Amino acid sequence: MEVQEEKPIIYTMENKPIVTCAGDQGLFTSLYTSLAQQLPREPMEWRRTYGRAPKMIHLEANFVQFKEDLLPKEGNKALLTFPFLHIYWTDCCDTEVYKSTVKEDMMRWQNSLRSHSSPDWVIIVVETNDTKKKNKTNILPRSSIVDKIRSDFCNKQNDRCVVLSDPLKDSSRSQESWNSLLLKLRTLLLMSFTKNLGRFEDDMRTLREKRTQPGWSFCEYFMVQEELAFVFEMLQQFEDALVQYDELDALFTQYVLNFGAGDTANWLGSFCAPVRNWSGLLLRRPIDMEKRDGIQRGEASLLDLRSYLFSRQCTLLIFLQRPWEVTQRALDLLHNCVQELRLLEVSVLEGALDCWVFLSCLEVLHRIEGCCDQAQLASNCSHTVGLWAYATDKLKSLGELCGLVSEKGPTSEDLNRTVDLLAGLGDERPETVSSLQSPYKKLKEALSSVEAFERHYLELSHAAMEMYTAIGRLRSARLVGKSLAEFYMRKGDPERAETLLQEALKSYVSEGWSLPVTHTRKQIAECQKLLGRTEDYLQTSALLAGDVNLTTEERKHFCQELLTFAAKSGAPKVTLSMGVFAQLTRLQFHPATASVHSGAVLQVELTLRCLMPVSVHIQQVAASIHFDVDHGGTHGRSKSTQRHRNPATVEFIQANLSAGPPSSSAAGPSLEMDEIQDRSPSDNSLNSTGVVCKNTHLLMRRHDSSSPPDTPNCFSPPAVAMKEGAQMLKVQDVTLEPGNNSITFTAPSGQPGTYTLRQLCAIVGQVQLVLPHIYPSVQYEVYSQEPQLTVEPLSEPLLAGLPQMVKFTLLTGHYAVKKGDALQLSNTDTMPILPSTSCTARITDPTAESVSESVLFIQSSEKVTSISLPPTPPYHTLEFQLEVLCIIPSGTDRPANERLTNGEIRHRPRSYSHPDTPMTAIDQRMSIDCPWSIYSTLLALTFYIPFKTKHSLLSAGNRKYIQVCVHNVSDVNFTLAEMRLSEKPLASLELQSLNAKTQQLLCSKHSVFCLWEVRWKDDLPSCLQCVFSANFSPLKQDVSSFKPFHYQFQFERVTTLYSVRAEILPPAGEQHCRSGFLCGLEVCITRLTEPAEGELAEESKTDTDGPKTTKLMYEVADSSSNWAVCGKSSGMVSMPITANATHKVQIEVMPLFAGHLPFPKIQVLKYLPHTAAVAIQPDPDSCVENDSLSLLDKTLDDQADTASIRSRGSVHSVGSGDQQQKGVAMPRLEPFSPGQVFNHSHARQVLVLPSTDDHIMEMYSTSKLLNVPVSTTGTIGVVQEPRTAHRELQKDLELAAYGTGRNEGRMNGEMYRDILDKNLLPSTRMLKMRRGWTFQQDKDPKHIVKETESK
Amino acid sequence: MAVCIAVIAKENYPLYIRSVPTQNELKFHYTVHTSLDVVEEKISAVGKSLGDQRELYLGLLYPTEDYKVYGYVTNSKVKFVIVVDSSNTSLRDNEIRSMFRKLHNSFTDVMCNPFHNPGDTIQSKAFDGIVSAMMVQTG
Amino acid sequence: MADEAPFQFLHSELIQYITKSAESGDTENARNITKLEIMGFRVGQGLIERLTKDTVRFKDELDIMKFICKDFWTCVFKKQIDNLRTNHQGIYVLQDNKFRLLSQLSAGKQYLEQAPKYLAFTCGLVRGALSNLGVKSIVTAEVSVMPACKFQVMIQKM
Repeated sequence: MEVQEEKPIIYTMENKPIVTCAGDQGLFTSLYTSLAQQLPREPMEWRRTYGRAPKMIHLEANFVQFKEDLLPKEGNKALLTFPFLHIYWTDCCDTEVYKSTVKEDMMRWQNSLRSHSSPDWVIIVVETNDTKKKNKTNILPRSSIVDKIRSDFCNKQNDRCVVLSDPLKDSSRSQESWNSLLLKLRTLLLMSFTKNLGRFEDDMRTLREKRTQPGWSFCEYFMVQEELAFVFEMLQQFEDALVQYDELDALFTQYVLNFGAGDTANWLGSFCAPVRNWSGLLLRRPIDMEKRDGIQRGEASLLDLRSYLFSRQCTLLIFLQRPWEVTQRALDLLHNCVQELRLLEVSVLEGALDCWVFLSCLEVLHRIEGCCDQAQLASNCSHTVGLWAYATDKLKSLGELCGLVSEKGPTSEDLNRTVDLLAGLGDERPETVSSLQSPYKKLKEALSSVEAFERHYLELSHAAMEMYTAIGRLRSARLVGKSLAEFYMRKGDPERAETLLQEALKSYVSEGWSLPVTHTRKQIAECQKLLGRTEDYLQTSALLAGDVNLTTEERKHFCQELLTFAAKSGAPKVTLSMGVFAQLTRLQFHPATASVHSGAVLQVELTLRCLMPVSVHIQQVAASIHFDVDHGGTHGRSKSTQRHRNPATVEFIQANLSAGPPSSSAAGPSLEMDEIQDRSPSDNSLNSTGVVCKNTHLLMRRHDSSSPPDTPNCFSPPAVAMKEGAQMLKVQDVTLEPGNNSITFTAPSGQPGTYTLRQLCAIVGQVQLVLPHIYPSVQYEVYSQEPQLTVEPLSEPLLAGLPQMVKFTLLTGHYAVKKGDALQLSNTDTMPILPSTSCTARITDPTAESVSESVLFIQSSEKVTSISLPPTPPYHTLEFQLEVLCIIPSGTDRPANERLTNGEIRHRPRSYSHPDTPMTAIDQRMSIDCPWSIYSTLLALTFYIPFKTKHSLLSAGNRKYIQVCVHNVSDVNFTLAEMRLSEKPLASLELQSLNAKTQQLLCSKHSVFCLWEVRWKDDLPSCLQCVFSANFSPLKQDVSSFKPFHYQFQFERVTTLYSVRAEILPPAGEQHCRSGFLCGLEVCITRLTEPAEGELAEESKTDTDGPKTTKLMYEVADSSSNWAVCGKSSGMVSMPITANATHKVQIEVMPLFAGHLPFPKIQVLKYLPHTAAVAIQPDPDSCVENDSLSLLDKTLDDQADTASIRSRGSVHSVGSGDQQQKGVAMPRLEPFSPGQVFNHSHARQVLVLPSTDDHIMEMYSTSKLLNVPVSTTGTIGVVQEPRTAHRELQKDLELAAYGTGRNEGRMNGEMYRDILDKNLLPSTRMLKMRRGWTFQQDKDPKHIVKETESK
Repeated sequence: MAVCIAVIAKENYPLYIRSVPTQNELKFHYTVHTSLDVVEEKISAVGKSLGDQRELYLGLLYPTEDYKVYGYVTNSKVKFVIVVDSSNTSLRDNEIRSMFRKLHNSFTDVMCNPFHNPGDTIQSKAFDGIVSAMMVQTG
Repeated sequence: MADEAPFQFLHSELIQYITKSAESGDTENARNITKLEIMGFRVGQGLIERLTKDTVRFKDELDIMKFICKDFWTCVFKKQIDNLRTNHQGIYVLQDNKFRLLSQLSAGKQYLEQAPKYLAFTCGLVRGALSNLGVKSIVTAEVSVMPACKFQVMIQKM
């Protein structure tokens, strides 16, 4: 153990707290080893002052022999040399010996301890059995010695004396004594630690408090606190040790800051000394003694201090297994140092710091690599990469400083500088001399030569980049890349540089950082220029010229670059994307419907936003067009307009080049929401409603975002050149001003079809700027149109019979009407074209403004009317008007169809009735030969006949009247003039007009009735053919415009064959009928004429044998239920066909009401038995039925529908004589044609009395009444529509009722009937009143009242 | 005080960036852009590493020799970056925090301004004012 | 946040305005819904910016959804979402048993066919909030018996 005593104190891990040993050295040496081993075995809990957390520590001790001088002098603060415990060893067991020697020795020892006031001591008494064995005599019990010692020395503290019983044996007893000893020792040691450390710390603090006082030196303090740190380190309390250093660090930093702030601490002077040594950090030794000494001596530079501090911290951190913290701190330290040096304005050789930093970085990195394996390094390079990068750019700046990056190596002063720098490094540290890759060597080598530098620099920067990319710090990697690129540029290696720059650029563009983009582009441009990659260069410079981030000078410069290249002839053509040069913002068509007829002018207006800073002259702007033919070929305007998909103007949205927000933010389809209603299937009541997204599938498609916005020179300039040969829109010599320019093309519109604008190309000298595809696609259409001739009426509707204006419209289409072209209208006699003198044609162009007017020449032969057209350019409209007249087809007969001039079958103007108008329409076709086609155009006009004409034959007895009713169905008012009726074939008849007026006003929707009496000399032909003719013209037009109107009609069998008379005979003894009493009805049918031969023939068919008779059927039917017919209401009579043959029938009828009752209706029909010989007699059942009372309410029209007929179930077929043959073998009834039977009783009245008789008066009134119509019917004026007419008539009747009793004129039945027939009947007929009015008068209670009071 | 203040959109394009002195604006652009790396690292660190502090303030992103770059990210992933001159050692962490708070508040107002539609660069004068108040007052 | 009453009135007026301004018809109907949804989107964006100003950073998607259900909902509708369910594959269902904007309409099936109009805005609101928090999503809604309704959030995985 003497050895230990000599051992110099080196501050390393091996430090142990010192324990001195006095007394029996031999004994101690025997025990030393086991003691040294066993002491640290058990941990002890160390309770600490200032509430610091207790710690378990393993105590070790460095046992040295006790010497006086080991004991600390007064004021000695050294802690490591401090003996914490003093032990006295003895194995004395003999009192004498004890008394004689040991006791004094102990005394001396004790005194010396006390003199140095070190209270930490212990006495160990070792006892062994063998000591018992020798000299049994006057042996004291061992204990007594211990007691003695105790009593002598440790009077109060017994525990300071410990017994260790035979330690060398291993018996349980010895073992436990050991343990107790060890425990004791540990506790004592700790106690002294706590005491002394506490004291030390207090001193340290007091020292620190003094730091503001003058004369205080950081370095001294540093040493003190570091001592503490050492102690902690010695106790393996690295945390605490580190804390000490960090405190020092902080303190120093603070000082520097304060210094910077202004207050100066004089001790800082040494640190402000200029830096002479920049040999970087040194982390390989646990303690860098020379630096420490430097500090101790107060002549360390700031760098030295920092380096030393950091090396210590580094060591401790590595002990603590926190290597990554080292790197972190290292970076901070380096930055911090640089800052501090600046702050303290320490003069440093230029580049020296860079060297220092560089070395330090590498040193740290090496140290870290030294202490952990590759895997860890790889996984933690996020910590180290910072250092790498730092080192890299330091090296770079060094290189630049020493002129190692310039193409032509370093200059002389560069070399001098290098030498100075290297001098500053001093010479290599012993630790690293051996290793090849020491930072020192690296630096030296790097600075030695250009190549070496390059190699190292590349190595470093690539390493940095790889690490960055590895940990996903791409931007940082790119940044390093960029500086590397700059390096390459300096080295004149633009190729590598460019790739790196492109890399970087991509990221800037994609993230839309405009400034970096611009800057990088500029560099790229430089590269490309050097590389002579013209296209790319031009592309880039175009981009830059348009870049708003640059100054106008720069932009102009780049623009100039472009232009100068363009200007130089002979250079190969270069194609750039137009987007970099100018943007197509807008495209507009004139006319707006981007569709024109072929040959018309269509203008396309482009709006180009020129990005250049100066105005650029462009030789040619061309837009290539893709043309495809419509397969519809030539289609009319209608078709082209109906497909209106071509927008007039197209706006183009631009991906802005000055890298703005990436469009990815706005990307993706916008979602479309909708609502849903979920109805339950059973009853569709709403289960639930909701909001849904209609285009989820689109949105949920994980669209890979981060697709960079498509800006030029991310993609290489478009390979596509303009396709020559394709149709082009061209404009020569345009000057594009900065900003918006509008360029107008005239688009080709030769062939009909669809034209799509595909590309846009501007040519500036050698440079071709191409917009590879115009999107959204722009189209325009060219159509060609056949000439079209249309005719439409000027006024709707066209009225037949009157001259009407029709408009001819000719769309010339692609056909140009030449001089001498003419339209050939083939005339038809049903619709002549009225030659008019002044007929002018108007020519208008497509935009419908008039071009010219010219007079048409129309010459018409009897077959053809030819209209010579004025010359008209294509796609114009030619309009003129002609007057045509459609002749109203008279009556029923149609002209047989004859041939037209142009040989084809002439279309008969068919007349038919239109649904929407009451008028009958006539289609008039006209065929026109046009100069542009060999076929003749057929055009149809529809005319309407303004009139509906009806005719009817009226008869009174033998007299005949013809009535014609003209009904104006048009909307026009007419005047009718000279209505004439002429009888066609033989003018044997005389038709006497009963019409007073020659001119009649015929308002729209009204009618005119004309009446003629037919007179004849010898006898009346069975068939009359008449023509009604009148002139008509629209109201208030002069007489000249009257047009004829013909109406043909004919009557069959007009002669009156039979007359039927009826008398009502009051019951016997009565003068008048009374209601409710039977009275007789005598019907007398008389044959008036000789049989006509036709008639005979007819009869002969019916029955061949016997006298010529014809069977008639009569029928009495009261339709107004005034009468009850009793007995047979109908029956047969067979009349011999001779004149004046008469037949009487008696029927019983009973009036049901009082008053003037019309006679019951009596009807006579021709009865044709079926051709089978036997004529069927009315069979009984029918008779039975007929006997029954029939109160049938019948209308006048249905003649044949009687009970009897029904009972026979006969087919009632009117007037077709031949049908009976094939008809079922049934007898038929055939009505007589009007006028063949004259019924005298028609509308006759008889007075029926109730109980009282006031009849005379009534008769008069009746007569009076009947006069009234006479007066009014001189001519039958225009009678307005039936209802009003009826009302008027009734008024008259009422008037009549007043005037009773004045006119006494007795009126015989003859006259009465006459009037009746002549006037009333027709008027009633025509008014369709039938017997309505009489009926009314009877039923009207008013009348009754009047009548009663009036008498 | 700050020498550069930047607001960066969710998609990492600058919504607003202002720096003094203006001459080496470009340098700041690069710095800020690079700092996004660290921001992203820190953001992505949230969630997996359990020991994360999830406040919006990201602290010192990375120091360079001359500058300290601090970061802050809103919940809408909008990043604020403040660059401070390293020589300016007086600046305390919590001062930086408060600067970020101010920024964030003002930014929120901008966002809620009907005339600003999200994604556009910030034009607001008010915001400008706030920012320039935080900048070092040198040309 | 403003008091709920004005908000509700404004909201219903908004719907009235939108629907009145356009003539009816299915396509129109859809367009209106979309319009409302977009309005909501914009509002949501702004709103969330405000609300998340003082909150800590969100851990993950679920964290965000929780925020929407609690703070966001409370702020807008003065109550929390009653039930949040998810399939952990990007679909969340937020159920509100007494949805403020419907509670005024009816309690039951009356006016059920009108209900979607009153949900569209909120769908947008949620979508806007989420998108501003960096979560692209599609939000749909369903109501079977008012005033309860479900909002389904479909997260778009980027």
